[in-house]
Amino acid sequence: MKLVLLYLDPGSGSYLVQAIIAAVLGGLFYIKSAWRKIRTLFSREKKNQENEKENA
Amino acid sequence: MPDFTIHPASYRDPSGFVFRHEDQWYRQLNTAYREDYLRLMDSGLYDELITAGLLLPHREVPENFTDSADWFKTLLPEQLTFISLPEEWSPAQLKDAALCTLAITRIAIDHGMILKDATPRNIQFPGGRPVLIDTLSFERYDPARPWVAYRQFCECFLYPLFLHRYYGSGTHRIVSAWPDGIPAAITARMLPFRSRMRLGAWLHVFLPAMISRRTNKDAPLPAFSKTRLLHLLSNLEDVVRKLDSRAFRDPGWSDYYEKSILSKTYLDEKQALFTSMIGGIDFSSALDLGANNGHFSRILAEKGIPVIAAEADWQCVETLYRAGGSESHPIQALCVDIANPTPATGFDHRERSSFSDRAVSDLVVALALIHHLVLGRNIPLPMVARYLARLTRRWLLIEFVPPGDERSMQLVRNKSAYPTPYDEAEFEKQFSAFFTIDDKAPVPGTRRVLYRMRKIPIFA
Repeated sequence: MKLVLLYLDPGSGSYLVQAIIAAVLGGLFYIKSAWRKIRTLFSREKKNQENEKENA
Repeated sequence: MPDFTIHPASYRDPSGFVFRHEDQWYRQLNTAYREDYLRLMDSGLYDELITAGLLLPHREVPENFTDSADWFKTLLPEQLTFISLPEEWSPAQLKDAALCTLAITRIAIDHGMILKDATPRNIQFPGGRPVLIDTLSFERYDPARPWVAYRQFCECFLYPLFLHRYYGSGTHRIVSAWPDGIPAAITARMLPFRSRMRLGAWLHVFLPAMISRRTNKDAPLPAFSKTRLLHLLSNLEDVVRKLDSRAFRDPGWSDYYEKSILSKTYLDEKQALFTSMIGGIDFSSALDLGANNGHFSRILAEKGIPVIAAEADWQCVETLYRAGGSESHPIQALCVDIANPTPATGFDHRERSSFSDRAVSDLVVALALIHHLVLGRNIPLPMVARYLARLTRRWLLIEFVPPGDERSMQLVRNKSAYPTPYDEAEFEKQFSAFFTIDDKAPVPGTRRVLYRMRKIPIFA
């Protein structure tokens, strides 16, 4: 059954909204992945130190 | 002269339309949709969506039933036995329909296509799970553009779910009030202050509410990309997943049978009577009115027939929907108030037919309902009888709850007036105008009586 609301004029307003949301989400994604990298870097150093201690 | 009738709601999309021909629903595709349809079929998108159970399957029929010059193809979709409206869904159903829409959009993007509209009216629950029924919703995806249906998705799915999350009203009332979707500006004004603590509400409700919705055709469209769109989609999925009914787990009728002092023995006795009464008759569809958590709807569904379960309390409907029916014959769980059933709506009242027109079944079951209608809502017995005769094709299984019953007394405790006389003799007399009483048995341990009635064929 075709009960569709055809909606072909989302307007530049909706496009602008999506652009802003995408920018915010992109930023968050970037920060998250940067944070993850930093964390893995630190945990690796920590592990290395622990390993060195154990080996010593 | 071609023999067909176009569905009264199928006039918006120039790509095609739905029509009825010799007791089957078909979909015509016009030449305007040729390219998109071929892409849908050839890109592997159709097959993937069918395998995932997200799209209603169809087959092509090499006939131009409508004789139109614009004809490209005729499709025969898998036929649906019942159409439910989002005005009748519990929040869980609207949520699942939203996630289904997002999942389809994501798969479509992988195949170079996208959904051009995102409305719950394109989703149905034929197997108890949501599927898209509109094959014409797909169009070619242009990575430079954002999602054309984003605003519609928010207004039709996301905002009703947000409002329900904070007020526990159920989504069906919001959808009834705003059948084409509730605008961001209105939603933003209704949401409580604490909702601003959620990033999802901020991004998808408050931000759009602030940005002007006026179309400025001269303004250049901001650049977009596939990565950005995928970020947006996964964020929407996240936000929708977190919007549930957990905050509203008490009231209503959802624990009626658990808490009822009439309790387990009453339920067992009633079930035994019920099973023996439906055992002796022939029916191939059933409608359970005031279905509560669907205990009896499930017994009906086990017979392998389509069952509609109508219940006013959205929490019951949510429980019922989650529990489903038998796998091959699931239950259509609907939020419907029997004293105020879903009306016919849309242009000329013909786009979406009324609950009473859609729900007609071979057997109507009305257990522990009549006292609510007569004593609770002041509907006189003859009116109740006439309405039930309209809903059933053949059989009625009804429980009479006498005035001395504890529940009846609760209903009239603070009332000065209700339809009288209300007793077993009057009940039988009024129902005999439309039905012949076929079987009758008291529910042991109570003063309630279960009746099996057959509709007098003159009212067919």
